[in-house]
This record gives sequence, structure tokens and C-alpha cells, in this order.
Amino acid sequence: MESHSEKQKHHHHHILPTRTALMIGGTLLFLTFVTVWIAGVDLGRLNFVVAMAVATTKATLVALFFMNLYNDRKENSVIFATSFVFLAIFFVLTSMDLFFRGKVVVDPKLMTASQSGSKLAQPWISTPELVAKGKEIFSVQCVACHGVDGQGNGPAAAALVPAPRNFHSDQGWKNGRKPTLVFKTLKEGLAPSAMASYASLPADDRWALSHYVVSLGPTAALADTPEDFKKAGVNPNQAGGGSEAVVATIPVEFALDQMEVKPVESERNPHLYAPHEARWLERGAPESRAAQIYSESCVECHNSKGEGGISILRGSVIVRALNAGSEGMKSQEAFNRWVIQGLPGNLMPGFGQYSSSELRDLYRYVQGMTAGHSVD
Amino acid sequence: MSNGETALKHHHAHHFASADDEFEASKQGMWIFLVTEVLMFGGLFVAYGILKGLYPEMVHEAHKLLAVKMGAINTVVLITSSLTMALAVSSTQKGQRDRAIVYLVMTFLFACCFLVVKYFEYSAKFHHGLLPGANFTNEELKDPKSALFFSLYFMMTGLHGIHVLIGMGVIAWVLRRTIRGEFGPNFYTPVELVGFYWHFVDLVWIYLFPLLYLVG
Repeated sequence: MESHSEKQKHHHHHILPTRTALMIGGTLLFLTFVTVWIAGVDLGRLNFVVAMAVATTKATLVALFFMNLYNDRKENSVIFATSFVFLAIFFVLTSMDLFFRGKVVVDPKLMTASQSGSKLAQPWISTPELVAKGKEIFSVQCVACHGVDGQGNGPAAAALVPAPRNFHSDQGWKNGRKPTLVFKTLKEGLAPSAMASYASLPADDRWALSHYVVSLGPTAALADTPEDFKKAGVNPNQAGGGSEAVVATIPVEFALDQMEVKPVESERNPHLYAPHEARWLERGAPESRAAQIYSESCVECHNSKGEGGISILRGSVIVRALNAGSEGMKSQEAFNRWVIQGLPGNLMPGFGQYSSSELRDLYRYVQGMTAGHSVD
Repeated sequence: MSNGETALKHHHAHHFASADDEFEASKQGMWIFLVTEVLMFGGLFVAYGILKGLYPEMVHEAHKLLAVKMGAINTVVLITSSLTMALAVSSTQKGQRDRAIVYLVMTFLFACCFLVVKYFEYSAKFHHGLLPGANFTNEELKDPKSALFFSLYFMMTGLHGIHVLIGMGVIAWVLRRTIRGEFGPNFYTPVELVGFYWHFVDLVWIYLFPLLYLVG
């Protein structure tokens, strides 16, 4: 409309003087030279800081002069600067999550799952079914220490003081050789010996185990007295012995989920993993046998990253991290000794069932897995 | 030499009170667009930060395989092109059409130069199997995660390269309109805004170069 005034209005628009443009261009080229040169000098972490400082100086010069923010309306500077504010928020929050979140720690005291007690009416009375079930559970949970036949001669037994109970003898049972009292042992463990609490097992499983180990003895078990029931916290007048006192425990599914070893899909190209997933690659696919052994025998206590910490299933026991500073990781020989014999006085059982080549693979596997750990 | 009178007269759109309002609004629109660009590249820069934070050794080993010399040459090329672009804008503002044409052509040629260097760089990477993700076949780098670095390298430089291509397109477009004499002291909004875009492309490279090639 007012075309005659347009020319005038443009007069206050800043025009970048050629001299200034050349000076800025020259400075930018000089700074490029500087940053390449300094990168060649080893300043440690300072290299990164210097490079970013130089880049930011260059970027500021470009924005202020070539893009004319210096003479432009201030709101445009504010708009542009805002993007960097949001970028900073993006970066800081992501870093905090990724680098500082730490491990998920579950306080067992907060997770009290009540055990509903036995589903049987009178689980303290032995039946062939319970004994058979107990035998099955025994072969999974107990053989490492008590041996396949319950003679106290499992692969880990040699390392344990006191030695694990021989169930074929009726002498020396700490809590007494009656189903209710064995049930109590299973629930509470026998501190300070290596006998841990198995309260995380369902009550029926513990009753089955009790009947099985008592059945191994040379004589029939004595009848339970009212006092025995009381000691074991079982009420014989209620179906199933009444509900058990609330046990501080973590739901088994949750615990297993925490300790799950992610399946390694060998067909999947390892390079396709996202960065955070790539951590799993470190306990890589090729050593599948070692990975299998680890998940069979080690992961329950040492966790899927070899970090140790608090074993969830076996109560609050500090478990060693498997890093290079650990005594048993110093050589193949030391490693074999620890794995085969276990650690006397500790919860580390021995695992005698693996061949020397399997142990060699496992050692390498654990080394690889924990290479990134700091030595504690 | 043309003396500042534009051959074609620009009429501002009717919803603006004046040509000046139109100019300011267009410029602000461009700045807001550049904000979205910062955030788009920002995602990749954050990814880079995470990768470097998680695997500093891997990133360090992998970055050594990038050609610093080529990266530095491209930095010089891009900065010089930014300078010629700035000069093209000021020439247009002063009504020096012929100079503006020369500067725009130079800017365009520098952009070509940048892509040629990039072509040689990429070819060398392809040849050595330094490819992103599943196609990574290089055996020199022992860490299997190295592919992640090259995924990011190609993603970042590739997205930047696409910006260079688009930049060449819009530079060619304002060059054509400059030759037709559509711009002058009264109206140069497209030249200035294409300039912003081109400086932004330079700005991204100013960070990409040290992060990928120098301190990785």
C-alpha cells in the first residue's frame, strides 16, 4: 500500500558490513584450526571441554553476526535460546535416569507377603504323596549340600563347617527329628550355620521336604507334642495348621523377574541391539554353555551381572561381586577352587559337577561379564 | 551494476499492515522453525552423549577411524560458505545484485564441495565395512558395540547431509530469483531466511565435527 514508505522502513534494518563479515569468517577459520590443533594435544578430559568451548564460541559468532541476532529484535534471541534450554533439560534428565538411577533395590521389609499356610488339612501327617513330592523338591533345593541321597555329602559339603546334616542318622538334629521341627528349621534356617531359611518356599513344599528327610532316617519319627507345634508356629486345631505369621519376603515371581537372564537370541544380529540392551551382549551369545551354567548355578546369588549384592531368595546375605579384585577371580586355579569347593563358613556352595573345560569357559565368561565393574 | 531498484515490485500480503511487519513475521517464523531443527538434531546429540557416557572406550576407539583431515576440510568449506552466504545477503540488502549472484554461486559450489568430500568419506567407510547396525563388518574394531557408533555417525552426518542438499535447493531457488531481479533493498526476505537456514547447517556441523572426529 504505502510503497513509498517501504524503502524508508528498511533503512533501519541492519546490514552486516563486509569488513565485519570477513573478520567473523576469519575468526571462525582460526578457531577451526585451533580446535584441530588442541585435539592433537592430550589434555585428558580437558580436551572435551576445550573442544565444546571452541565450538560454542564459533556457534555464538555465527548466530550473533551471520544470523544477525546481535542487531535483531531480542525476542528472536529468546526464541532461539529457548530451544537450547529444552535441549539441556532433555539431556540432563536422560543422563540422570541412565547414569544415576542405580540398581533397583527392594527392601524386603516393605514387601511382606503373607504365606497362606498349607492347603492340606493336616500337613504334619506324613503321606506317601508328600514324601514323593518332598523327594522331588529335595533334588532341586537341597542336593548341593546334603547330597543326592541326603547323606550330607553334596558337592558343597566339603567346604561347610559344620557339615550338612546326614538325614540317615537320627543323632544331633538341632531342632529335633520331627516333621514339625524340620518344618521350623526350613522356615527359619539354622543360623549361624550355612543352613539358610527356605521360607520363600510354599508351606506345602516345606511340609513335603520335612516328611521326606524324616523318612530317610533309620527310625520312625516320634509323634509331635503340643509343644513342638507351638515351637513350629503350627496350630494343629486349624486346617493346614493355621496361617503362618507374615513372613518378610518378596513374591517369588517378582524375585525371579529381577534375576532373569535375558534370553540371548543367537539369530538376532547383535549389532541391532539398542545401546542399553547392548550391555547384555557383554555376556554374549557364543559362550552359550557358560551362560547356561551361570544361569543354573550362579545367577541366583551373584545376579545376572555378577554384581553380587543382596540375594533376594536366600535372605539378606551379602554376596560377593565377581570382579577382578575378588580373590576367586585372580586366576583360573583360584576360580576353580572356589567353584568346586565353595567358601567354608559362607553361603557359597561348591559345584563339583562341572568339567574343567566348562570351568574354563565359565571363568572367561564371568571375566567378560564383569570387565566393566569397578573393584570394590 | 544494478543500483538497488528491483525489477519486480514485491507486494506484501494483505493480512500484514506493512512490508516491514511481513518481514519481521517471516523472520520470526524462521526462528521458530530453527528451534524445531535444534530439537530434532538435539535428539541425536543426546543419543551421542549417552553412547559416549556408557561406552567411552568404544567410542574412543571407533572415532579414531574417522578422517580428521576430511572433516577439517569440510569445516573450512562450510564456514567459508557461511561467509559467502552472509555476503550474499548484505549485497542484496545494498542492492548489489551482481555481487549477490556471485556470492550465491560460490555458496552453492562450496555446498557441492562439502558433499563431494562427504562422498569420499562415506565410500571409505563402506569399503572398510564401517556401516551402521547389521551391516557392520569391520574386523579392526574388536568391540561388537562399535556398530552403534557408526549407526550414530551415519545418522547424524546423514541428516546433516540431507540438510546440505535441501540448502543447495533453496540456494538455487533464491539464486534464480536474484538473477530475475526479484530482490533488492526493499525486499530480500527469502535471501535472508535461506541464509538463516544455511548458517544453521553450518552451526550443526560446528558441533558435529569436534564431537565425532576430534574428541570422540
